[in-house]
Amino acid sequence: MQENSISANNFEQCQKCSLCETVCPVMANNPKYPGPKRSGPDGERYRLKNGIFFEDALKYCLNCKRCEVACPSGVRIADLIQQARIDFGRKAPKLRDMMLASTDQMGPIAGAFAPIVNFSLGLAPVKGLMDITIGVDRHRTLPKYSSETFVHWYRKNAEASQAAYKKQISYYHGCYANYNYPQLGKDFVAVMNAFGIGVQLLENERCCGVAKIANGMIAAATKDAKTNVEAFRKSVRQGRDIVTVSTTCTMTLLEEYPELLKVDNADVKDHISLVEQFLYKGIASGELKPVWKEGFRARAAYHCPCHQERLGWGIFTIELLRMIPGMELIELESNCCGIAGTYGFKKENYKVSQAIGKPLFDSIAAVAPDYVACECETCKWQIEMSAGVPVKNPVSILAEALDLEKTAELNR
Amino acid sequence: MKFDVLIIGGGLAGMTAATKLQSEGLRCAVVAEGLSLHNVSRREFCAAGGTLLAGDKVVSGRFSGDRLISVRTEKLGDVDLEADNYILATGKYFSGGLAADMDRLYEPLFGLDVEYDEDRSKWFDASFSAPQKFLEFGVKVQDGRALKDGVQIVNLYPAGEILAGISSAQGDARESVINSAIEAAAAIGRK
Repeated sequence: MQENSISANNFEQCQKCSLCETVCPVMANNPKYPGPKRSGPDGERYRLKNGIFFEDALKYCLNCKRCEVACPSGVRIADLIQQARIDFGRKAPKLRDMMLASTDQMGPIAGAFAPIVNFSLGLAPVKGLMDITIGVDRHRTLPKYSSETFVHWYRKNAEASQAAYKKQISYYHGCYANYNYPQLGKDFVAVMNAFGIGVQLLENERCCGVAKIANGMIAAATKDAKTNVEAFRKSVRQGRDIVTVSTTCTMTLLEEYPELLKVDNADVKDHISLVEQFLYKGIASGELKPVWKEGFRARAAYHCPCHQERLGWGIFTIELLRMIPGMELIELESNCCGIAGTYGFKKENYKVSQAIGKPLFDSIAAVAPDYVACECETCKWQIEMSAGVPVKNPVSILAEALDLEKTAELNR
Repeated sequence: MKFDVLIIGGGLAGMTAATKLQSEGLRCAVVAEGLSLHNVSRREFCAAGGTLLAGDKVVSGRFSGDRLISVRTEKLGDVDLEADNYILATGKYFSGGLAADMDRLYEPLFGLDVEYDEDRSKWFDASFSAPQKFLEFGVKVQDGRALKDGVQIVNLYPAGEILAGISSAQGDARESVINSAIEAAAAIGRK
């Protein structure tokens, strides 16, 4: 029986050229995964007939969206797969998946007991127990939690001085900068302030929801999305554009909200930019004037995260980092690191995750850089654990390379 | 952003020209809507320091007199990509390099002059397997450069299947595609 006849995701444009299959990192490493063409446009033909044709193996898709970058016909392959998981995935999310996905519920709890949590999560017996009981792979180094959140630090140390700057933006910090690595948020504030830009927080920022989408918690993700879009609207009305640091959050806010969660963001979309894009445009147009530190030297390898690849904005990061005198930047061949957010933490995905990342780890080893430059927090965990090279966010690199005081004088 | 050469299209023609020019020391960028299977040349191009804008699409160009000044892409929005020279390798109909209405054939990106038979009844042969004339159409060139409203655009070089007379839908056109790309690259290299 025919249940539907049309799809919003233009699967009819698929020409069966199979280019998506040649770039899929999962297909090359996990024979259980049918691949983007079969899971996406091919499967959609059947699913539109009847939902019983939904296959559970679609969960192996890590939503890197490399298939969409490769598709010459503009088919939103990964969206088709995620949409099918939303519409037909029958299994309720496991406790583990809910814990991994609820970054903004787990954050405050884990942060309150950060020293104990970080210590315990590093112990072999605890890792073993988590492996057996909830299925978080024992080989994984778990992200550390910070005892002081970024927001707490900001309220205490930065908020009062922000209004004095002539230009104002709202900072969407995301869960990672808030709970796991507040230094990134501090670097962001330092760089923005140096350029004469005041940093405000959004009213009631919520998690972007990407991990909830990946783990089938659609109602919770949609609620967060609506709250966020409302906060963006309010910020835009007050004359403040929104600047983000995480590529995955950004892709989610811009693309996944309207496409998957059906939360309309058309009126605020053009007011949201990723920090590297924001700074590149500002410096290129002469509006922002950097003063670089003398004697800065670094040899960095740039890894473009999958979702940055999908946004098509890696060029902003590259051009921005190339402006730094003393920076030797090597672009790594674009490959997925294998972590894909919560995907690689799951016991059943660990081996595939590491196999996917191997070409990247090998290419980093061949370059032997001082550090890897990368905008994505989960790539950072994966690369630091698996390639043994530190990973720095471009914002933190700028905070080091800029002469912050002289820049501040020039941009006053 | 400024480059020596900007290549529009990442297929066989685009990647051949880009890899050649980049390895000769020119700073090149390729805007590739969808990735073609030319993994080797893509890897070589990137390893030589070329900039690949993968999954992006040129949507407009700004002309001044007989020159193409800059282009904009779908994903980079209001950022102008400038280059001294441009190679247009967007292919024929399937890849959107050429398009047709009931009464005309056109080049949809820049509105370049195209070479085709105005008598539409001559575009095709009713027999499916017969040689099809519409596959022979393409953009007009003069000394390897494109024409727009009869004016030669001195820094815009079409290459590959967008040219008249080259079509992979009728037999193997790889050699002609590669040759046209090498010719365009050589013309830019000589400048």
